Amino acid sequence: MNGLRHWFSGVHAWAALIALTLALLIFRDALAWSVRYPNEWVVPLTPWLNSGMNWVIDHFGAYFRAFSDTLAVVMRLVRNLINALPWSVVLALVTVAAFALAGWRLALFSFAAVLYMVVIGFWTQAMNSLALVVLSVPIAVIIGFAIGTLGFASERADRAIRPTMDLLQTVPAFAYLLPILLLFGFGPVVGLIASLLYAVPPMVRNTTLGLRSVNAETVEAGRMSGATTAQLFWRVQVPCAKRQILLGINQTTMAAFSMVIIASIIGGTADIGWEVLTAIRRALFGESLLLGLVIALMAMVMDRLTARIAVREITDRQDQSFAQRYRYWIIALILALGLSLLAQVMPFLSDYPREWRYYPAAQLNAAVTYIVAEFSTSIDLIKRVAFFYVMLPVKMGLERTISPFSWGFTFTDTLKVAYAVAIVALTGVAWLRRGWRIATLSAFIGILLFVGITGMPWPTMAGMAVLLAYQVGGRRMALGMAAGMGFLLLTGIWQEAMLSVYLCGIAVLLSFVIGGTLGVLAAEFRPVSAVLRPINDTLQTMPLFVILIPFVMIFKIGEFTALLAIIAYAIVPSIRYTELGIRGVSPEAIEAGRICGCTPWQLLWRVKLPLASPVIMLGLNQTIMYAIVMLVIAALVGTSDLGQMVYIGLGDGDFGVGIIAGVGMAVIAMLADRMMQTISRKQARN
Amino acid sequence: MSNNSITIAAALGLAFAATSAQADTIRIPLNDWTGQNLTAQIAGKLLERIGHDVEYVTAGAVPQLAAIAQGSLHFQPEFWDNNVGDIYYDALDRGDIVLVGPLGIESSEGWIYPPYMEESCPGLPSYQALYDCAQAFAAADTFPNGRLITYPADWGTRSRDLVAQIDLPFQPVAGGSEGAMIAELRSAVASQQPILMMFWQPHWLFAEFDFNWVEFDEVDGTCDEGNQSRGNACGFNQANVGKLVNRDFQATWPDAYVLVEALQMDNASQNAMILQVDQDGMSVDEAAEGWLADNEAVWAPWVEAAMAAQD
Repeated sequence: MNGLRHWFSGVHAWAALIALTLALLIFRDALAWSVRYPNEWVVPLTPWLNSGMNWVIDHFGAYFRAFSDTLAVVMRLVRNLINALPWSVVLALVTVAAFALAGWRLALFSFAAVLYMVVIGFWTQAMNSLALVVLSVPIAVIIGFAIGTLGFASERADRAIRPTMDLLQTVPAFAYLLPILLLFGFGPVVGLIASLLYAVPPMVRNTTLGLRSVNAETVEAGRMSGATTAQLFWRVQVPCAKRQILLGINQTTMAAFSMVIIASIIGGTADIGWEVLTAIRRALFGESLLLGLVIALMAMVMDRLTARIAVREITDRQDQSFAQRYRYWIIALILALGLSLLAQVMPFLSDYPREWRYYPAAQLNAAVTYIVAEFSTSIDLIKRVAFFYVMLPVKMGLERTISPFSWGFTFTDTLKVAYAVAIVALTGVAWLRRGWRIATLSAFIGILLFVGITGMPWPTMAGMAVLLAYQVGGRRMALGMAAGMGFLLLTGIWQEAMLSVYLCGIAVLLSFVIGGTLGVLAAEFRPVSAVLRPINDTLQTMPLFVILIPFVMIFKIGEFTALLAIIAYAIVPSIRYTELGIRGVSPEAIEAGRICGCTPWQLLWRVKLPLASPVIMLGLNQTIMYAIVMLVIAALVGTSDLGQMVYIGLGDGDFGVGIIAGVGMAVIAMLADRMMQTISRKQARN
Repeated sequence: MSNNSITIAAALGLAFAATSAQADTIRIPLNDWTGQNLTAQIAGKLLERIGHDVEYVTAGAVPQLAAIAQGSLHFQPEFWDNNVGDIYYDALDRGDIVLVGPLGIESSEGWIYPPYMEESCPGLPSYQALYDCAQAFAAADTFPNGRLITYPADWGTRSRDLVAQIDLPFQPVAGGSEGAMIAELRSAVASQQPILMMFWQPHWLFAEFDFNWVEFDEVDGTCDEGNQSRGNACGFNQANVGKLVNRDFQATWPDAYVLVEALQMDNASQNAMILQVDQDGMSVDEAAEGWLADNEAVWAPWVEAAMAAQD
């Protein structure tokens, strides 16, 4: 047994798999099934899922509808309430709240942000979006708190809750829009439920984590002073975990904001998300940017406010007078009442006049058009280089990429032999110099680049994935990986899954390299950090669709545009975590390095980066997650992977197709996440 | 505190008043393009003239079908039956959605190109010319074949099938989304680059730019899309633009149903209004009112017929 384990984890297994891959490739004409998974072997899950769904609708549809009707009444109420407030009152309230919680800087920012929404003339729509968030956050917080507490109380429940939450966060929302629509009926409630499904998981996680990390002695002290279980929970454990729970609320709020546009795809919302969608449909860059900024600003203000609540010092206010204690409440109340009354005589305080609008969309559109017309040749060159030398080789392999048109020559048999010899030589050198792991990697990449990811035989691809999982995380990880690969194969989405891996893989690699470099620069030079921060904030809160349009206009429909859009979004965690990691390296370690006579360059490579690597790996993990999330959005500019399948399901009203593709993406995301986390944990231990 | 509860009570009252008043409201979907919004507003304003309450609800193309079938929306005055999946035909079969008839808008679908392409490909607009000047339409990722941008993958594969059948040296590239397709057209026109794309009209885009259509061989009757070859290629079967109502619409609002049956719209009127909205910054509401003011002779008989059905 031990011998077998040793054999499995070592060089032999890899050598065998590589040899098998080569054998399958050499005989691939005879063994066509090994490259393209045969359709006859696919388990027809889609019809079952669809008829199962129909059964549920027929039998329980009425209950779901009753639930959503109730929710619809509440939603209408919140909406009317928010819309009844004049804009000037909202402006005053938000500013006072920002000042009370975080001082004049945030107050100024919030004031400008709210004023922006008024000035561009989409106030009602913005408030309708706010209504969605205002309603979904408290519900998500309550549900999330309850589930999180359950996960804390019972180990068994936690084991079921954890993967469910993973699934909810990784299955793209588009995949479950249709089932929600079929179950709950049409209307803004569908958007609300979709946003709940996405916003609950962070609350659950943070609640469980917070409660778990409460000091055991504190709990013991509480118990000794005679607290009942309920008292212990509400008076000791929850207050101690308060900070983590508040962080959960913050993340839940952000998640709810990120669903604003997706929720409007169903319709019935008449909010800013719908306006953005309409602008995107018409490819109006200026409009979609200005409207997307509304959502981004709202999210930024809310983020700062809720994050501030989470870190605020809890001050003792016993000795203050009533007026002192509630001074901000009193100011807010007076301002609100005063402005409401004033709005009666000065109507522009509640209805912003159309003539005062400033909406510079046309100018922005003209700017993009100018760039496109002016730089079309150099843009084309960038695209060609990326296509011929990076993307196509990985996707279809050098054997199909190299042609007189692309590389300037034909890939003759002599050249093919030369390529094989070069790869073998490289592998040999790597083995001698760096050991078998690097050699295996070199051989693998050599084969991959020759036939492309779509030409690799699936039996050995799946085998290698399982083997890798075994080496990283032992038997459990290998089992999980085998189950995941089985799902992708049996449901017949292997090809699309590999295309997703290809697009995500290149995007992650580039994001990690570029983002890591920027992160190092930001950690070393303060001005760089100051420039990068607002850009990162905007990229992260701006609705993802908006990012697409300028890329399409400049780089045209196709995978290159999709790749750039994915990078634009996935690069942010790489930058942030690298900066964070390097800044977190202890000054003593740096000092020690300096005393040993390290140059700044050595200091970076030998001291700072190795010490920061657990955090940087966490950033890589996040980059992978972000890339997979963006895959669905990027499908809007023409890809042919799982992301596209999700839309096909939504467009055809075919529940099964969409959900299988969605779960397929979740499977890839979860496996990548587990692997990365294990690696990062191992590194931290060393 | 008391102030708050008064506000809440007032809002509650409002909300319930609003819900109860809705029982008889006819709900019309607003899709995300101007042409449909105009037809919806005109239909809604006419329904108001015969005494009904109307509410407009924003809705996506597939979700609206589920909504009409379930009865959350009641009347879609302009529905395009191309690019919809089984969800539409299933609902028609079950009778949950009723097709009242054509709206009168003549749609056309096909391949478009900007006029400057006729310089680099002189035989256009005939499709036969495309065989010889595929390279004029080529791009890095399709060379030596021409690049044809088709509908997004989830709208079906008709262009791809046609290219394969008539053996055209073009590579179809899926458009991804309407926004992406339009962005591509805008940028191609801005830099005078070659482009060939599957598109449809009426569409507001034709109010903004000039495009020509690739012409296929003439056929008698409908085009058999699945059976074409070079020299015998009819191109595409054209979509129908119809009026949809919910299953219970006729029973609930018999007079409104008469109006729905009579309602007609033509391309010229709609294009003129689209131009007013998308180019001249007029609101959809104003444009619809403008049409009603100028065309009383057209719609007066519809309203009369509906009023007659009320007694």
